[in-house]
Amino acid sequence: MSSVATSEDAALGGMPDSPAAMPRGRRRTEAAMLLFAVALVTFAYANVGFGLKGSLPPGMAEYMIAFVVLLALAHLAVRILAPWADPLLLPLAATLNGLGIVMTYRLQEVGRNGNPGTMSVPLSSSATLIQIVYTAIGLGCFVAVLALVREPRVLQRYTYTFGVIAIILLALPALLPASISEVQGAKIQIRLGGFTIQPEEFAKLALALSFAGYLVAKREVLSLAGRRVLGIDLPRARDLGPVLIVWAVSLLLLVFESDIGTSALFMGLFVCMLYIATQRTSWLLIGFVLFVAGAYAASKLFGHVGERFQIWLHPFAGTNAFNSAYQLVQGLYGMASGGILGKGLGAGQPYLTPLVQSDFVVTAFGEELGMTGLMAILLLYGLIVQRGLATSVSVKDPFSKILAGGLAFMLALQIFVIVGGVTRLIPLTGITTPFLSQGGSSLVASWILIALLMRLSDAARRPPPQPIQDEGMTQVVNLS
Amino acid sequence: MNRALRRISIAVLVMFVLLLANVNYLQAFEAGNLAGKPGNSRAFAAQFQYQRGEITTADGIVIASSKNVGGVYKYQRVYPLGPEYAPVTGYDALYSESGIEAAENSYLTGNSSKLAVRNVIDMITNKPRKGATVQLTLDSNAQNTAWSMLQATGKSGAVVALNPQTGAILAMASYPSYDPNQLAVLDGPQLNSNDNKLLKDPAQPLVNRATGATYPPGSTFKIVTSSAAFSQGNSNPNTVVNAPTTLQLPQSTAHLINNDGEVCGTLGDNKATIITAFTESCNTAFANIGMQLGSATLKSMAEKYGMNDPNLKIPTPVAQSNFPLEPDQATTALSAIGQKDDTVTPLQEAMFSATIANNGTLMKPYLIQQVQDAADLSIVDSASPTALGQPVSPTVASQIKQMMVSVVNSPDGTAAAFKNAIPGVQIAGKTGTAQNGINNSGLNDAVFTCFASNGNRSMAVGVIIQGGGYGAAAAAPIAVGVLKAYLENG
Repeated sequence: MSSVATSEDAALGGMPDSPAAMPRGRRRTEAAMLLFAVALVTFAYANVGFGLKGSLPPGMAEYMIAFVVLLALAHLAVRILAPWADPLLLPLAATLNGLGIVMTYRLQEVGRNGNPGTMSVPLSSSATLIQIVYTAIGLGCFVAVLALVREPRVLQRYTYTFGVIAIILLALPALLPASISEVQGAKIQIRLGGFTIQPEEFAKLALALSFAGYLVAKREVLSLAGRRVLGIDLPRARDLGPVLIVWAVSLLLLVFESDIGTSALFMGLFVCMLYIATQRTSWLLIGFVLFVAGAYAASKLFGHVGERFQIWLHPFAGTNAFNSAYQLVQGLYGMASGGILGKGLGAGQPYLTPLVQSDFVVTAFGEELGMTGLMAILLLYGLIVQRGLATSVSVKDPFSKILAGGLAFMLALQIFVIVGGVTRLIPLTGITTPFLSQGGSSLVASWILIALLMRLSDAARRPPPQPIQDEGMTQVVNLS
Repeated sequence: MNRALRRISIAVLVMFVLLLANVNYLQAFEAGNLAGKPGNSRAFAAQFQYQRGEITTADGIVIASSKNVGGVYKYQRVYPLGPEYAPVTGYDALYSESGIEAAENSYLTGNSSKLAVRNVIDMITNKPRKGATVQLTLDSNAQNTAWSMLQATGKSGAVVALNPQTGAILAMASYPSYDPNQLAVLDGPQLNSNDNKLLKDPAQPLVNRATGATYPPGSTFKIVTSSAAFSQGNSNPNTVVNAPTTLQLPQSTAHLINNDGEVCGTLGDNKATIITAFTESCNTAFANIGMQLGSATLKSMAEKYGMNDPNLKIPTPVAQSNFPLEPDQATTALSAIGQKDDTVTPLQEAMFSATIANNGTLMKPYLIQQVQDAADLSIVDSASPTALGQPVSPTVASQIKQMMVSVVNSPDGTAAAFKNAIPGVQIAGKTGTAQNGINNSGLNDAVFTCFASNGNRSMAVGVIIQGGGYGAAAAAPIAVGVLKAYLENG
């Protein structure tokens, strides 16, 4: 481990990315883009008020000022703690988080103050305030991660600690009684007092960190080829161990917590990181085949999983649209009624879709902002993923490379699973929509993910240290 | 490792492209299909987002409009004259429409393809979209008279008035009626409660008796029997026929008598001219004529007048008036005087007279005068009167007219009381008093069909009052009242 780090240090110190363009911090770009994000969110918030009542929403000034102050503090922290970080990540995440606050406010107003509609599960009258508090906690964690983790490679030391943390977080809801852990047939949360925590949101990050550390240490062994079958180099049988363990854990998740979405996410994350580490296509195939076989078996064995497939394939058959597929179908109706340009914020009927504030929040945007707005939101996510992958390509240290690639892919996969699910591209599995879903755990975990990507991009874009004395240039050896 | 990362980037790109393509598919291509799915309450609420077009009478009285009430269902329907026009307008309720609201829905909502260009212009110029105005053929004076006179009887019944030359419906009233405003409420539970009340009402206010219910025509059917007889070419109003005081029906123990067992006419010897039999409404004379013609001939003439047609739309659907083929002479005799299985709508009654008034040509009845774009007032659609057929030749029509005039003008005529009801205007009519119920135990239905012209305007009217008794007593005053209201205002 130390030898790898040293060689990368030499490369980093002696070889800037491109001598022609000295990297710049680009914090002013970030500030400008943040202003743009704030303007967009403020406009959207005002739009809700006009859509509902034809006037500015009450309390808008306070909420927007709080939002601006939080972002300004985060931006200042980045200037100090990660001056070379990617300038787009913070504004992109801020825009999505702001739109999430806007939609929370819009849905909070349903059936309140003379506004039309009834929510299947109404939001509390202080939901918007709570969402801003969660935003504050999220940005606090964002700053804390940047402050505590000054070098990405430090995280590599805690490979097994993160692994244990992840397993505890995942196992907790399954072990706790259903009364405080079950939601809609899936055991995925912990209810404490009035608040609920979804530990899997944090387990995802711990797992990514643990996988990255493990794979950096073992990637050479895992790269060794065993037999060659049909032009594919299969790994040695004894190296299959870790893949099988993760597969087993994800299947256990499926069985005991009935949580297909998260299970797919973990499996995808691991296989992707394994592929980045070893570059072996065989691992992709093995992972994919194992997951599909496991999911297929589960769909045959467990009613909960099988029903998801039926809903996906035949939402309009028989009385499905009024029973099992009701939520999916209502979401589709919402998007259809939004059409190309949308009903306008506050002017649609997203409340007709049950629990629209969590898994189905994307359909609410589709209804009120239309195809145009929804595509813009998808592109915002796409840009975050692209910045993450670009960071992964440009960063030199293998641990950072695997971690950045894994985190970016996990975010992409999560968007694909939830947006694809509610738009009936793939079977629906309940996972949160990062930044947009109402609720705290997902938002805080998403901000931690952005902080990690910021830290990694800071490491990737940091210029080489200036020589202290003029001793002549060090001999350059390109290792990558 | 970068090679793997680039491949993963491509995979991620594919995932996002799939999501974007699917969103396009759903919201641009599949949206219309999803909007039409049953149980899609959003598509349903969308109907109430635009101002629905108005419905007006021919003389410009607004009888249905939309007012902005805010909320999910933004526009609520208002019917300023409520029950008077309810049988025509119908209602525009949350879950359904009826009457003109249903038949002209695509114009009223603005969804008609003929309004597509206008909608695009409105969208570009940011004008609120509004449905087209539907102007009916109804005359508010005639309608008002029909409604208030029906209401005054307190009995259920209906009035239909036609322009004989075009088929335009000038009045169409039914009593008892309902207030469509009660069904236009946008509150679901309130609507259900109002609807249930109306459905359970024993007076059946939701039934449009003018076109949706049929009654025995009684003696007014003698117009058809006479038409069939004269069209054979070997008889005319002055032809003498057997008109006994009592007629033994063939293969039956039943006897047919004239009203109150009266003797028909003054010729004696159980004989009378057809015009006398028509004027005094002698049943035995027409029973004999019917038996001579046979049921097939009667049925053929009845169908020329529009009976046995299940497909008539004005554009709201009209119930079929019935004249089935009778199996024997006894029933044929009864069917020839408008009893047995004969049933007609009040609209059909008006069509009998309208045919005679229009020299034997029957015009297709219609309610829509024109449809007008609400924004630029251009005419999107307008009525083009068409003939349904020619039941009788102009010669036969004039012979029947001569007899119908006699009903009013002759001192022995069943409607002699109305000889000078409208100064300077000659009324031609035929009364009917239809027996009802098991063994004719029910109260008689009063029926009257008539027409008149003042040279400038002309009108044919059909009136049926359930349990009204004599046609001349209960139905004729209303018909004459409507004629007067229309002719004296034109």
